[in-house]
Order: sequence, then C-alpha cells, then structure tokens
Amino acid sequence: MAGSDAAPELEMREAFGRALVELGQREPRIRVLDADLCTSTKASLFRDAYPGRFVQLGIAEQNLFGVAAGLALEGFIPFPCTFASFAARRGLDQIAISICYAGLNVKIPGSYPGLPTSRAGASHNCLEDLAVMRTLPGLRIADPGDNADLLAIMQAAVATPGPVYFRVTRLTLPPLPRTALGFQWGKGVILRPGKDVTLFGTGMMTSLCLRAADLLAADSVQAEVVHLASVKPIDRELILESAGRTRCAVTAENGTVLGGFGSAVIEVLADRLPVPVRRIGVQDRWIESGGIDELFTLHGMQPSDIAAAAQDVMRARAGQK
Amino acid sequence: MMRDQVGAPPEVLEEMAYRIRRLSMEMITYSRWGHPGGSLSAADILAVLYFDVMTVDPARPDWEQRDRFVCSKAHAAPAVYAALALRGFFPIDEIYTYCELGGRLEGHVHRGGLPGIESSGGPLGIGLSVATGMALGLRSKELPRPRVFCLLGDGESNEGNVWEAAMSAAHYHLDNLIAVVDYNKVMAKGFTWDLMGIEPLADKWRAFGWDVLEVDGHSLAGLQEAFHQLRWVRPRGRPLVLIAHTVKGKGIDRAEFNYKWHTHAPDPETADQMLRALARAYGRPEEGYSRLGLEHSKETFYGGE
Repeated sequence: MAGSDAAPELEMREAFGRALVELGQREPRIRVLDADLCTSTKASLFRDAYPGRFVQLGIAEQNLFGVAAGLALEGFIPFPCTFASFAARRGLDQIAISICYAGLNVKIPGSYPGLPTSRAGASHNCLEDLAVMRTLPGLRIADPGDNADLLAIMQAAVATPGPVYFRVTRLTLPPLPRTALGFQWGKGVILRPGKDVTLFGTGMMTSLCLRAADLLAADSVQAEVVHLASVKPIDRELILESAGRTRCAVTAENGTVLGGFGSAVIEVLADRLPVPVRRIGVQDRWIESGGIDELFTLHGMQPSDIAAAAQDVMRARAGQK
Repeated sequence: MMRDQVGAPPEVLEEMAYRIRRLSMEMITYSRWGHPGGSLSAADILAVLYFDVMTVDPARPDWEQRDRFVCSKAHAAPAVYAALALRGFFPIDEIYTYCELGGRLEGHVHRGGLPGIESSGGPLGIGLSVATGMALGLRSKELPRPRVFCLLGDGESNEGNVWEAAMSAAHYHLDNLIAVVDYNKVMAKGFTWDLMGIEPLADKWRAFGWDVLEVDGHSLAGLQEAFHQLRWVRPRGRPLVLIAHTVKGKGIDRAEFNYKWHTHAPDPETADQMLRALARAYGRPEEGYSRLGLEHSKETFYGGE
C-alpha cells in the first residue's frame, strides 16, 4: 500500500474510508467506532468490509471517546469517528482524560474540519480543533494536504503507539508535488524552494500556498512553500532554517488563527527568530453559512490573500532593516 | 446457590474494610488533601471486591484473565490505593506518597504506572464509558471469564455521560459489566435531594435496560451475597448495577453524612482522635495517626468544616 497508490481524484473522506479498510485488512486490532455519521465520514466503508469490528454508539460523542479508551485498554486500536466539531468540543474531556492523560492508543479522525463544511454554519465548521488539541500533552496531530498524505498519516498513526488526532476534510484536494520524504511525525517538507518569503501551510491550505507562490512568481517574488502536515510535533528545525533564510513568513490554516497551526509556528519563531509573520485563517469571529469559495474570500484565505500577506511581511522585513 | 464459592471469611473482610478506612485517613491527613467522605463510604465495597469478588493477581497486574476495575468516582483514590496496597499491588508505605510530586499516587486515580490502576479519571461521569469499552473489548477477544467492575458515585449520575454509557452497555448486552453505585446521598456541597434529585435511581437503571440489585453498602455479608448472586444466579444478556446504599464518611463520626467532609483534610491531632475512635468502633486495639508530629508540609488545609 504505497502512498502513490492513493487515488487523488477522490474526495478526502472517501480516501479516508478506503484507507480504513486497507489498514483494517493488515491490522486486525483496528476497531472503528461511529456516532451516527458513518456515511458522511465514510467510516461506513469499514463497517461494510468488517461489520464485526465496527461499533455503532449512536449520537453520544462523550461515550464514543470513553468506549474508545476502554477498547484501547484491551489492546485494540480504536478509530472513534465523528466530525471535528464534536470531537474538539463535545468529546474534549474524554479525549483529554480518558485517552490522552492515560496515554492510550486511540486514533481520532476529525472529519469535516474548517470552512469547507460551509453551509452547515458555525456549529459544524470546526475552526478550533487544532488549537484545542494542541494543548493536550502526548497527543500527535496531523492535517493532511492531500489523499496520499492522509494515507501516510493513517499508516504512521497505526504504527505509532499513543493517541493521534488527524483531520479529514470532505473536499477533493489536488495532489501535492510528491517528495521522497513522505510523512513523518515532526517533519515538514519544502514543496517549492524560494528565497524571498516562506509560506508555511498545513492541511488543505498548503495547496493554496502553492497557488499563492505562483501569483507571487508573476511579481518576481520567489516564495518558499513548506508543508507541515505534522502539526504536533512540529518541525522546529525546518521552520527556523527556512525562515532564517527568508526572514519573513506567512502561515495558512483552515481554522482559527487563535492557538492553532499559525500560533505553533509563531511559538517556534518567537523563541529563536522573531521575523515578521502574518497568519492566514479565520480571525476571532463566528462564521456564518455560505458557499465554500465565498467563505474563503470573506475570511481572507484565498491564494490572493496569502500572496498579499507575503508582500506585507516582505515590506515589514524591509522596514526592520 | 453455590454459596461455597464465597471466598473470604467475614473477619478478613472486616479487617480489610477497617484498614482501608485507616489508610485513607492516613493518606489524606499526611498529604493534607483529599476526599474522606467518598473514600470512607466506598471502603466496604472495595474490601469485598478486592478480597473476595474480583480475580486479580498483584504479581501480574496486566494478566489477561483478571477482572477489571474502573474507579469512575476517581476522587475516592485514597480508598482504592489502600485496597490495592493491602492486596499487595505495591508496598503499603508508598501510600504516604499520595499527591506527592514524583509519586505514583495521583490526587485522582490515574493510569500512570501504579499497578492495579486501569484508567485515568477525575471529571465525573466518564468511567462507565471506559468500562463499557473494556467489556466490549473482552467480548471481542472472546474472553468470557473476566468481568469489568465500575465504581460510580451517586452525584455522578447527574452527568449525561453516565447515561450514554448505560444505554450503550444495554444495547450491546454486556453482561460482563457490573456497575456499583456508592449511593452515599451526599455530594460536594449538600444532599443529593437538595442539589439534584436522582430518584427513582433503581427505576432509571431498569429503564435503561440494566438489571438492578439494591444492597446495604456497609453490610459485608450483604455485598458478598449480592456479588455472588450476580455471578452465579442471574440471567445473562444484561449489564448489572448494584446500588449500594452507603453513608458518606462512614466510620468517622463527624464526617458521616456531612458534605463538609467531601473534600477536607483533618489536622493531625484531629486525625489521631478520629483513628482512635475508629479503632474502638471496630473493637481493635486503640491506634492513632501513625505520622503524628511527622508533618512534612506547612500548606494550609484544603476545604474544611
């Protein structure tokens, strides 16, 4: 099951369901738990393949995560599946204490994160999961940039003991340029080298960073695009190395800028390398229902916004000199 | 009925219940922090579980055939630690590291290296879900012998998560799951009926698809009988809850039925008097607080009468 086998034309949720089935075939300890969302998350594919290893728990997310903890204690590898909103908000106590504090081997997919949940509105467009989950010691966090990334993250999750949270967007994402490195915890990749500004992306925002880099190239700006699928642990060395060369950076995440991915990057830089940084993401506000593209425009998260932010930090860098 | 299966003789259980109470108060007094009320109310239940009912092996805390125990009312940690130490899971002297930096006995039970502790807790309402997951896991592994016991508080049944778990355990016919409610009628700040009424409690569990037994939670023989009845007599296919009617603070006069002793550490002199009175009540040689004059902390007492 090489990463290159993943079909990039699939919606990521479909790729998720298929990956569950593939992993389930190789790893008999995997159990998939559902809280009445399986045909949305596509955990239903696992249910259809291995009905005896699928546990339906109804609309009760607190119990979903508690039962996952219990199954992990008995040696299973549970994937409690629900939307990111209901994991990060409703299930947080159980994820924190029953799973993470106890150091249990539970793999938590957060489905439908961020703005692409669009018309469902603020309750379902989960913006805070990265921020909230990042505060839990011992929890590894990843936001895949495409389907191959997702598959590699899920393989790494199963291969790594301990709790993992990873995002699964509903969208079809364009495949990222492949690198030899693949996914590793705490490792990012330079997808496009550049010398003028670094665009740090995670999840679906990395492909928007690549498009922003194209826009910048038209203005003779060579933007470096760094994909950091591993949000925790984050690749401190690569952040410092890249921003050390470009001396300015933009971060981009599909979620709130408060406490999430951009904050993680800034924490690294503030410790060692205080350079101008702008964070692309939803600012401190509730979002409303709307179309996906409309929402990305409204919240300043389009490639043109990333490019404008890059110009902004380059000006700020010039002012610092 | 296979009455001959009842293991421990009454005098052993009584001694263990007494020592669980003593050690709980020693821990709370020495660390100057803890929950005496809910530890003392659970002492007899824990004595019967650890010295009669549950199959455990202190030398093999992860033995696959063991009975599992989840302490959902995780603030009763002193009583659980006392039971584990008495049962041989770790040296009894280690109880004085309760709540100490660098120790293994956290303020609320925590799966962090202490043998015999299966799960982490603290926020009320979360333990029965973990126990349900373990019971499901045991069935999935086709291990029919081990059972999962889960100790709940009564105030805890205010929490919605308890009922989510109860619903799912009945849905999956988990007859290897046994909940025990330490129904001591007192919560952190008052009586259950004043703060949030939970009656009719037995009917609630029945309505959720559980078999229910009610028992005097301070009658060692009654508890023994109830646990053995559920093991050998009851029909299969349903989870079971034992509603154990108890007295908060049982065994320490001034703490009994008194919410002010939910979270409260006595000063050493008071603890000394309490433990002497406890010894007299049990008909034991008078024995006071063992670390009188050996206080290691000047921190102020938490909570208080």
